[in-house]
Amino acid sequence: MTKWLARLAALGVVFLLTIQGQAALANPEGKKVLRIGSTQSVDSMNPFKAVRLIAGQLQRWSYLFLTTPDPKTLAPSPDLAESWETSPDGLTWTFKIRDTKWSDGTPVTAHDAAWTFNKIMTDDKAKTGNGPAVENFETVTATDDRTLVIKTKAPQASMLENPIPIVPKAAWEKQADIGAYEAEDNPPVNGMYIPYEQKKDQYVKLKANPDYWRGAPKISELQVIFYENPEAAIAGLKKGEIDLIGRLAAPQFEAGAGDATITQWNTPGRRAAYLQINHGATTSDDKPVGDGHPALKDVKVRQALHYAIDKQALVDQVQNGLAVPADGSIVPPMYQDFFWQAEGADKVSFDLAKANQILDDAGYKKGADGVRTMPDDPGKKLEFRFTIHTETPTEEKLAQYLTGWFKEIGITLTTKQLDSNQFTEETGSTALFDIAISGWSVNPDPEEVLATHLCSRRPTPTGDGGGTESFWCNKEYEDLYTNQLKELDRAKRADLIKQMQKNLYVNAPVIAIYYPNNLELYRKDKITSIEPVPAGRSGEGILYGGSSGWPMYTADVKADPGSATASGGGSNTGLIIGIIGGVVVLGLAGVLLARRRKTTADDRE
Amino acid sequence: MTAIVWERRKAGLGRFWQQFRKQRAGVVGAVILGLAVVIALLTPLISDASIMDVTKATGKDMDPPSLDYLLGTDESGRSVLQMLMWGSRVSLFIGFLAALLSMVIGTVVGIAAGHFRGWMSAGLMRVTDWFLVLPSLVLALVLSAILGGSSFTIILAIGVTSWASTARLIRAQTLAVEARPYIERSKALGAGHWHIMTRHVLPNVAPLVLANTTLQVASAIVAESTLAFLGATTGSTSWGSMLRGARDYGALTNGAWWYILSPGLCIVAVVLAFTLCGRALEAVLNPRLRGVSR
Repeated sequence: MTKWLARLAALGVVFLLTIQGQAALANPEGKKVLRIGSTQSVDSMNPFKAVRLIAGQLQRWSYLFLTTPDPKTLAPSPDLAESWETSPDGLTWTFKIRDTKWSDGTPVTAHDAAWTFNKIMTDDKAKTGNGPAVENFETVTATDDRTLVIKTKAPQASMLENPIPIVPKAAWEKQADIGAYEAEDNPPVNGMYIPYEQKKDQYVKLKANPDYWRGAPKISELQVIFYENPEAAIAGLKKGEIDLIGRLAAPQFEAGAGDATITQWNTPGRRAAYLQINHGATTSDDKPVGDGHPALKDVKVRQALHYAIDKQALVDQVQNGLAVPADGSIVPPMYQDFFWQAEGADKVSFDLAKANQILDDAGYKKGADGVRTMPDDPGKKLEFRFTIHTETPTEEKLAQYLTGWFKEIGITLTTKQLDSNQFTEETGSTALFDIAISGWSVNPDPEEVLATHLCSRRPTPTGDGGGTESFWCNKEYEDLYTNQLKELDRAKRADLIKQMQKNLYVNAPVIAIYYPNNLELYRKDKITSIEPVPAGRSGEGILYGGSSGWPMYTADVKADPGSATASGGGSNTGLIIGIIGGVVVLGLAGVLLARRRKTTADDRE
Repeated sequence: MTAIVWERRKAGLGRFWQQFRKQRAGVVGAVILGLAVVIALLTPLISDASIMDVTKATGKDMDPPSLDYLLGTDESGRSVLQMLMWGSRVSLFIGFLAALLSMVIGTVVGIAAGHFRGWMSAGLMRVTDWFLVLPSLVLALVLSAILGGSSFTIILAIGVTSWASTARLIRAQTLAVEARPYIERSKALGAGHWHIMTRHVLPNVAPLVLANTTLQVASAIVAESTLAFLGATTGSTSWGSMLRGARDYGALTNGAWWYILSPGLCIVAVVLAFTLCGRALEAVLNPRLRGVSR
């Protein structure tokens, strides 16, 4: 028993010391450190492999790209390429590469860029991250140290939004198997921050790059700290373990309300949420696939559904008011240049009477039970399935509202919940759905999301998914897409892209319902200044998860207090907990000892 | 059937009632149950199903109990009281049918395993053991996920995962019954398997089945609520799905105690009532228990 007590006491002391040690470790003397929370962990530090948003953010902080979205306008602006020009036929691009340094001191040349692109074009294992971005490339060559020439198979207007970070040839060509390399030994970079330490699923630490071409950032260190779930991350923010967290859902965002030290960052988001409607899905060889309801092939029915959705009510009730009702299509209003808004006769607004009228006129008669039937088959009722994900309260609530409104227009909607793998299969390749929830986070250049509605993206006859978001295959849409690819004038191209959105809005293979806001929280007692992308527009912009690393470049924070003069701040919490823990353990030992004295000899060992 | 048989059954029923009445807890349970069933049956007459339509909700979101809404409102402004009434239909319906299914499977397997000895009995019992050791909640969750959400799939999921203990119980009773001399006598008179199982064994295990069914309903209701809470819902409002809604839409952070407590207490009341009834039935039907209790 005595031995046991001694062990307990020793444990208390050890506990105290370890925690104290950890607190000191996490608290570098007087450094300006910005800590970002993330509930998504890094899949890979290797840009050829990584696909997650967090990895993309890390790339934007540590590598240069050919171009970067201008912080204010989001239009392509110089990054690694100082300037560029196009041949008259639009097939040859010549980039002038910036004279800058890798973090190991070696110069950055056009050969690095050429090697990076050629690697992706020639090695299938390097295609995971950004393979589609080089599909249209014919050749990429470095004619000298400063000149990169890219020849494309067909004109490509999105060339200047190339998402591939350029890596140093010397360090990367040593990797025999690019698919197995995780880049955890921190190969040289040339961006605003240099990753120098990471622990999988725990943290990534980056230090400021003094040689960054715009000049060193204001802070000395950037850390990304990972949390298992959003609730833990919010608790971490409130305790001061992290200073900023982005990409929040409405309930977590609202948990930040009423805290004087926390700023609620609520701005227009880059995501569009929409309903995907099975309008008669086909495979890439135009053979019907799936079991969609025949009534949905009728554009009248799809439009009637559109009239029966009160988007404002959905925003208020489903998104807690933290979204914008969608009066457009798949591009959110955040991208002013490309956003198309329905106006005049095109605009569909909530009107159950009109929806009923459309269905009456189209011959869908209501039966005795109030449910409409097919005009040519009175036995076939208008009963649709609504496919959503499991474990998503917002989608369930959405389903409840749609069910209510559709009932008013004589359509029965039943909800079908699927886990995400099955959901992707049934709504993306086998087409075993009538109506499904979907959404897309749109890049500054909307080409990627527009392409998800092309004929070529439909699944193959063998069922391999091509990444379609709607099974849409429409001549007008295809032509517009091809034309915008070739259109190198930004304004004219934007006009074509708007026409594509109108095509989707009017024909309703997808019905946009709302654009969820970008919801973030940060500690205003720590972060003294930060600029979002796009910057300079009041009440707009994204801090974490945006299309450039600008916010983290402009961020300035209060310096961490040194561990010697510990006062306030999150890192102290560890110390305090440690002391309390130690005291409790010691106290417990004391109590046990005292009680032991009181016990009779019979009770002793 | 002759008049004498009917006379005898009536007398038997009378005796049963006399015994049951002595179990005070059982009577209380039966009254609560009766009440719950009556409310569930009457709900369509006194309340309109459209109250569950979120687009027609009239109240404010998460409004505390008032004269208009006796038990307050939920996150979409629907009356919690009326949702409870409609929910009772789903919960009781699924509870009864799932218990019935479980009892049918359990009784058939139990009697068969008790009657046929040898490899058949051994085989059936190994299957039963397999279902016994399998975590039934997880199995039910998986089943309902694969089969998709409807009342019948939930009933199926609960039914096929909860029959194993019943089968064991019935088998034991079957073995006891089959050891009696009159079974041997009827075998000697040429009775077949079917005759013995249905005419001699089944009537003798029936009281046990009845008592067990009552208890099984209680656990089926809990299972349904658990499944609904975990997300395997039928799509219609049940007590479990109300609890889930209370959790999902932040009743706790809003302090909406009426939204969390009312479905919870309803589940407790009905499950308790079934348990009390089941115990009382057991006491009445099992002579050995009859002696010791009050």
